[in-house]
Amino acid sequence: MVSGGNASSLPLVGGSSEPTIRELSRPGRRASKYPKLDVPEVDINHPAIKNEKAPLPEVSEHDLVMHYSRLAHRNFAVDLGFYPLGSCTMKYNPRFADYVASLNTYANTHPSTPAEFTQGSLEIINILEHYLTEITGMDYASFQPPAGASGELTGLLIIKKYLETKKLINKKDIIVPDSAHGTNPASARMAGFNVVEVSTDERGMVNIDDLRSLVNENTAGLMLTNPNTGGLFEEEILTLSKIIHDVGGLLYYDGANLNAIVGVCRPGDMGFDIVHSNLHKTFATPHGGGGPGSGPVAVKDYLKEYLPGPIVEKSDESYSWYTPKHSIGRMHGYHGNFLVALRALVYMKLLGKEGLETLGSYAVLNARYLSSKVSKYLPLAYDEPCMHEFVATVKNLKKSHKIKAYDVGKALLDKGFHSPTIYFPLIVDEALMFEPTETQTVETLDDLAESIKLIVEELTAPGVNLSDYPKNLPVGRPNELIPAKHLTVHWGDFELLELTE
Amino acid sequence: MFVPHSNLDLNVIFDELNISSLSDLFNHIPDELLIKDGLDVDESLSELEATKYFEDIGNKNVSNLVCFAGGGHYDVYLPPTVKSLTMRPEFMTSYTPYQAEISQGILQVLFEFQSLVCDLTEMELANASLYDGATSVAEAISVAINKTKRDNIVISNGFNPNTKEVVNTLIDNAKFNLNYVPLSEYIFPEDYEFEESDAAFVVSFPHYEGSAQDLTNLVQKAQEKGVITICYVDPSMLGVLKTPGSMGFDIVVAEGQSIGTPLSFGGPTVGWFATKKDLARLVPGRIIGETIDNNHKKTYVMTLRAREQDIRREKASSNICTNQTLNAIGSAIHLSWMGPEGIYQVGYQAIQKASYMKAQLKEKGFNIINDESSLREFLVETKKPTDEILTEMGNRGFLAGIKYSDTQILIALTEKRTKNEIDNYVESFSEVNNG
Repeated sequence: MVSGGNASSLPLVGGSSEPTIRELSRPGRRASKYPKLDVPEVDINHPAIKNEKAPLPEVSEHDLVMHYSRLAHRNFAVDLGFYPLGSCTMKYNPRFADYVASLNTYANTHPSTPAEFTQGSLEIINILEHYLTEITGMDYASFQPPAGASGELTGLLIIKKYLETKKLINKKDIIVPDSAHGTNPASARMAGFNVVEVSTDERGMVNIDDLRSLVNENTAGLMLTNPNTGGLFEEEILTLSKIIHDVGGLLYYDGANLNAIVGVCRPGDMGFDIVHSNLHKTFATPHGGGGPGSGPVAVKDYLKEYLPGPIVEKSDESYSWYTPKHSIGRMHGYHGNFLVALRALVYMKLLGKEGLETLGSYAVLNARYLSSKVSKYLPLAYDEPCMHEFVATVKNLKKSHKIKAYDVGKALLDKGFHSPTIYFPLIVDEALMFEPTETQTVETLDDLAESIKLIVEELTAPGVNLSDYPKNLPVGRPNELIPAKHLTVHWGDFELLELTE
Repeated sequence: MFVPHSNLDLNVIFDELNISSLSDLFNHIPDELLIKDGLDVDESLSELEATKYFEDIGNKNVSNLVCFAGGGHYDVYLPPTVKSLTMRPEFMTSYTPYQAEISQGILQVLFEFQSLVCDLTEMELANASLYDGATSVAEAISVAINKTKRDNIVISNGFNPNTKEVVNTLIDNAKFNLNYVPLSEYIFPEDYEFEESDAAFVVSFPHYEGSAQDLTNLVQKAQEKGVITICYVDPSMLGVLKTPGSMGFDIVVAEGQSIGTPLSFGGPTVGWFATKKDLARLVPGRIIGETIDNNHKKTYVMTLRAREQDIRREKASSNICTNQTLNAIGSAIHLSWMGPEGIYQVGYQAIQKASYMKAQLKEKGFNIINDESSLREFLVETKKPTDEILTEMGNRGFLAGIKYSDTQILIALTEKRTKNEIDNYVESFSEVNNG
């Protein structure tokens, strides 16, 4: 087994804990230096001003750099190893995109600069809108939503505003599959809709009979990701969209799984009216430890005037900001996560026509290969061809050896892999959800499958204490009750707790 | 390039799957849905070609304007040390730290971020970031609504108009009343009377117009009526400003761009959110806690997870999932780099430079509209339409400020602006207005 980013080169450093930056602080040390004040100093007497200095750490620059570098060493990342993390599309993030996004011409513009001085950035948004609408089969896009969940809320607010404008105020039900991402029902609720859950059939797809029974004149729309969260393509999507459209509802596409279908098929052709994309998944912008993302929303022509604004419009040779007539309003203080959008465009330009047309195919190819390998050791949840991800289940091992999905995930960490997504989708017992992405080599996929095999052998051996896993990392399993119960969320809290107990 | 497979690799994979081409992967997809004519996009660029392509487009931005604009985003000095540490690939290319054992780096930095935000604002619990300042205001209002079960929001009119638009989008106006209270002489009216039906008192410190006031009495009056008090603060001024905690606020939110993030055309930046522990279970977004592992070793972990969308689904405190972690990391490192003296200089010099600039503008005959009450940011009256002034000043190399009205510009100073830049600005401003 020789592959990039696996057990043979476990990147994390163990040893003793790293102190906090506050523990490193000593009075009088400092990293920063500012120029002397170059204007005549005047007395400032203002009721909003305080006398004491802010209680920030006092550290030398070398201490600061060592501290945060050491912390970096205690973290897994795409640049270090393989994240087979279902639903998250942890593909390689091209360094070149970071280079472009850090160019002074893009990175240091104040957001309120008049459009006449930011024509380049507006052009970027305009070009990206073309790429995104071409890939998704839509017509117009807004880049305001800073993340996927914000994109979902945007889509739902568009549905709401559209229905209000059409005086269809009885339409209050948003149908969401029981397998959906948690953000779907949360966003629907935030937008003021009733959440109606549709079940999943034995094959792992939306239960059409159930959907028919739930749909009526109150149906505002359906939120769906295709492929769904089981990694399966909803083969009856055209029937689903007809059922919804026949009662005047709208179809919302959750772009979390867009990577599977780029270049293969398009949400717009499936009947979706609104699509959000996660640029930080499908278009390779770095996840940043949890963000920033970018969740642009694209719509069919007839919904353009409802988009959050302003959006970019091109006229002759110049670009300007335009606020759509029935806009739902702003979703972000300025123009969304512009530098994330820029990175996504860089990625698309580097892939180009051929790369984008085969993107989904390679993502599916790797998942299909990995599922074939993994299924030799763990049963799959569905007996259907997977798209870019697949769900395996640990339910048999749970019955025979009390091994849970959680335990397999933790043991994988020891082998130098990130855990797959566990316990999702919620409808699969002891689920492990794998998404390899198209950027992993066949050796790495083999290594992961081999590791699963070893783990199953290891964990089922007599005398194993499951809670010992992982064993070889900076820390072991955390006690999750202490912070939840005692709110140890600030660096004074834990000390205080120890003193009082 | 990013897909590693050689033809040899493809043979291995095709054999395993018993297929002979990529298109065999999609036999189960209805034929009418498959893309037949390809995508209408350009051929791929090499990095060399893409460098020129993106540099050329970037050069259509006039990017060397000396920045006198603020409104929440400030041209504060951001040291390369902070940028390079923040962009370490272990931070930048990692996922949300659900797997604590391999995510102690991100978790500890975020825990430090939360602690630093609390110390700086004098609050007890901060989350691990929200999208930006504007959405943070809306999230804070939602917390107040959930806590009080009341439906009237008292919100100062002295907010960035974009922030007000975001609040108007995110707070359902069919259910809740957003009562925008006009400032009086650029100050929130001290004699304002709150009602028992008010869920929240939301105010910017300083106000968007740059004026600031001690809000202690207003906060106390609001709290006497059971109102949740929310302070939107300019974090880069917290080295000199009174802390929201010392004025008694229940929730503090901020646009955190000026701490750790370049101007970035407004995004990605970061929203800060801090509060008191008794509101912990209503807080939106991720929270990191300190604990021990199974060997009693210090460990950090995501906590109070039961509030979040992946567990509570439609009953979650917010739908936020992806946040602005990397920018929060930037904030933590920048705060640690500045230290107490650095953040004091950032605030103090900005106020001093604003005082100097106001004096110079007055000397040239300009009217400073909120001279007395303003700190680093202030309104000046123009003699020509502001759109014209902004264009003319732009042509002379200055981002002159933000249009406030047809005859007023909002000007912001940071520690970065030099006396020379200020003098040149005033000179040009005078010519442009009088020319």
